[in-house]
Amino acid sequence: MPGALPAPDPDHVAAWRGVTVRYPHQKRDAVGPVTLELETGEHLLLLGPSGAGKSTLLDTLTGLVPHVIPAAVGGAVMALGVAAGSRSPAEWAQHIARHFQDADQTLCGMRVDDEIAFALENQGLAAETIRTRVAAAMRDVGIDEAWRGRRTTTLSGGERQLVALAATLAQASRVLLVDEPTSHLAPLAANRLHRLLMTRAPGRGVLIVDHRLDGLIAAIDRVAVLGIDGGIAAEGPPAALFRAHADRLDAAGVWRPLASHLDTALATRGVAPPQPPASIDDVMGHLAGLGRADRAMARQALTPLVTAALPRALIAEPPDREIIVQLSAADCAPFLGPVVLRNVDLTIARGEILGILGANGAGKSTLGLSLAGLVRLKGGAREGKPGGVAFQNPENQFVSGSVREEIEAALAVRGTEAARPEAADKVLAGWGLGHAASQHPFELSHGQKRRLALATLTAGGRWPLLVLDEPMAGLDAAATADLALRIEALAASGHAIALITHDMDLALRLCRRCVVVGEGTILADASTAKVMANPALLARAGLAPPVFKPVLDWFSEAAP
Amino acid sequence: MSLSDHLWQFRLNRLHPLPKLIVCLIWLVAAIVVFDARFQLITIVLAAAALVLFNRSSPWLVLGLMIPFALFGVGFLTTSILFRDGSDFAGKMAAEAPFVSEGVSAGIVLFLRAIACGMVSALFTLTTDPGGLVKALMRDWRLSPRIGYALFSALNLVPDLASEAQQIRLARAMRRGGSPRRIPGLIEGFSLMLPLLAFAIRRASRAAIAMEARGLTGQGGRTILGAPVLALRDAVFAGSALALLAAACTLAWMLR
Repeated sequence: MPGALPAPDPDHVAAWRGVTVRYPHQKRDAVGPVTLELETGEHLLLLGPSGAGKSTLLDTLTGLVPHVIPAAVGGAVMALGVAAGSRSPAEWAQHIARHFQDADQTLCGMRVDDEIAFALENQGLAAETIRTRVAAAMRDVGIDEAWRGRRTTTLSGGERQLVALAATLAQASRVLLVDEPTSHLAPLAANRLHRLLMTRAPGRGVLIVDHRLDGLIAAIDRVAVLGIDGGIAAEGPPAALFRAHADRLDAAGVWRPLASHLDTALATRGVAPPQPPASIDDVMGHLAGLGRADRAMARQALTPLVTAALPRALIAEPPDREIIVQLSAADCAPFLGPVVLRNVDLTIARGEILGILGANGAGKSTLGLSLAGLVRLKGGAREGKPGGVAFQNPENQFVSGSVREEIEAALAVRGTEAARPEAADKVLAGWGLGHAASQHPFELSHGQKRRLALATLTAGGRWPLLVLDEPMAGLDAAATADLALRIEALAASGHAIALITHDMDLALRLCRRCVVVGEGTILADASTAKVMANPALLARAGLAPPVFKPVLDWFSEAAP
Repeated sequence: MSLSDHLWQFRLNRLHPLPKLIVCLIWLVAAIVVFDARFQLITIVLAAAALVLFNRSSPWLVLGLMIPFALFGVGFLTTSILFRDGSDFAGKMAAEAPFVSEGVSAGIVLFLRAIACGMVSALFTLTTDPGGLVKALMRDWRLSPRIGYALFSALNLVPDLASEAQQIRLARAMRRGGSPRRIPGLIEGFSLMLPLLAFAIRRASRAAIAMEARGLTGQGGRTILGAPVLALRDAVFAGSALALLAAACTLAWMLR
C-alpha cells in the first residue's frame, strides 16, 4: 500500500507540467505539451475539438495512461501534491472520481445499486455509510428506486449515463474528472446534473469536459481550450475568453455557449454588453435595457442567428405531402422485448424532418425502429417501404473490414460491379471520408463514424425514410454543424427523416414538426413551435424549452 | 392461493448460491459416476421440474435448453454405436441396462448423461444471480476480489453477447431490407461469431478499466454489501436435494 498522502497542496489538486502523451505505433503525440493546473475548489472547463486529447489528458491524472492504457508520457503529472505515477489507478480512486465519456466505461455491468456502491465498497467504508450514500446519489441524480435491481446493461443509453454519474458523485472525492456527462441526457435531467456537478464542495476541484455549455457556464471559474495541435490554445475566465477568442474557437470547431454567440453578433453592430456576458440571462438583461435605436440595431445584429435557429426555406413544407410511412394504432416493442408504446398513430412525409423528443427511456429508439419497419409491431399496422436506421452506436451497423468496403457493400444494390469503385470514390469524397477509405471503420473518430453510417445508408438510395438516433451525441461544434447541413440536404433531396434527439435547439432548427414520447404513448404531435411553446407538456415529458427561446421571444417583442 | 403461488414461495433464486452450488456439484459428480440411464433420466426430470415449478421457467424454454446438450450427447451416442470396441468400460457398466445391445446401451447412457449434466448446470445458472454468487464467494470462501469480479464479468458475458447480437442482427436485417427472424439460422449464427468475439474482447477490456478506475484491488479490507445470508430454507433445500439424490441412486441400483 502506498503511504498516506502528504498535506494537500493549498493551491492545486492537479497539475500537468509540459505533459505529452504518445500512444504506441503513432507518429504524433495524442496530446501536449500541456501545462495546466486545477486549483483547489475550482471548477475548470476543458474544451477542444474532437481528437484534441481531452480524455487522454484526464486519464493521465489517475495513471490509467500509461499504467492500464500503454503510452509514452512525458513531463510531470501531479495529483494532490504527489506524482500521479506513484500510485496505481485503483489507489487513486479513493481521492479522484472519474466519469468516462462512454458510460459503459464507467460501469461494470452490475445491478444499479451495486454499481453505485462499487467504488465505496472498494474503499472499505462502513455498510451503513455506503447505503446512505447510494440512496442519496440515486435521489440526487433522479434514479427511480425501481431501477435498483436492474442490470445497467438493460438500461437505455441515457439511463446508463445517469447511473454512471450517480456512481461518480457517490464517491464524494476531492477531485472530480467528468467527461461529457450529459451527452445522452434529456434536457431536464441534463440541467439537474449540471446543478449537481457544479455544487461547491469544500476543497473539491472539478474538471469537466462538456459541450452542453448553456446552464453550465455560469458555474465555471475558468476555461482551458486544447488546440488541435495538442497544446493549450486559450485559457481564462469563461466570459472574457469566449469574447476574446470567438473566431479562433469557431475555426477550431469548439463549442461556445449561446451567450457568446449573441455577444459576438451584437458586437457587429456595436451594441454588445459592456462586460462579456457569462450567461443567456446576462444577454437578455442587457437587451431589455437597450433604448429604441439600440434595440433596432440589436434586432438587425441578431437576425442571422434567429434565421439560423429556425427551419430553412430549403426544407420548406413539401407541397405534395406524400406519406412515406404511416403507423396506425401501433403497439411498439423493441426486438424480442415487451410493448413500450401503445396506440401510436403517426405519419411521416417525403422531404420532412420529424423530431422525436422525450425523456431517457421513454421509447424513442423503439419508435424509430418501428417507423423503419425494423421491428415487428405487437399490434396495429405499418404502411410504407422499409426505412434505414443510423443507430445510436454507429459501430453496430459496420460489417466490413474497411471504410471503402462498407460503402461498396451499400452500393451493391444498384449499378454494376465494375462501376462500383468509382461510385464509392464519389460517395467517400462527398462525405469527407476519402482520406480514411482504407481504415477499419472502428478506427475512425466519432464524427467520422457518424458520417460513414449516414453514407452507407444513403449510398444505395434504398431507403426513402432515414431514422437518425441521436446523431449529434459526442460531436464537436464543427462536426455538428456539418452534420446538420447534411441532414437538411438529405431532406431537400426527398428523404423523410425521423430525428431522435435530446437537443431542443437542434430540433427547433431542423424540424417543422415534432412528436413528444412519454407515459407509454405519443403525448403530442404538433408543429415544433407549438411544442416548444408548451412548458407544461415539456415538463411532463422531461424536456425543457430550447436555450434560444428567450431570444426568439425578445425578437418577436422587439419587432418594429 | 394456487399451487403455483405456493411453490413460488420456495423459488430457487432466493436460495444462498453456495449450498446450491455444492448440491449441484455433488449431483454432477453423481451423474458422471452413476452410469445408469434411469438415474440420468431421473436427474433430467427433476432438474426440468424444478425449473418449471420453482423458477417459473417456461416448459418450452426448458426443452429448448436441452437441445444443445442433446446435440452434444448425440456425438457420444453415435461414437458408442459405431466404435463400440473402444468403449469397454462403458459397455461393462451398461451391460445390465435394458437396451438392445451393449454399444447402444452405453451410448444412450452417455447421451442422457450429457443432457443431465447440462440441465443441472442450467438449473444453477438460471436460478443464481451472478452478483450474489460472486459476493458469497468473496465473503464466505475468501475469493480474491479481482478473481471474483473477473468471474462476474464472465458470467454476465452471455446475456451481454445476446443483447449485442440483437443489435448486430437488426443492423444486418436493415441492410437486407426487413426485420430479423426471431431465431437466427445456422449461417447467420456463424457470421455473428467474429463480431461477437470482438465485442467480448472490447467488453472485457472496458470492464477491466472501469473496475481499476473505481478502486478494485486484489487486497483485503473491502466492504461486501448485500451478500446473500444463509437461512433455514437453504438447509431444507440441501437436505431435500441430497435425500432425492440418494433415493435416485438407490432406485437405479435396485432396478439393475
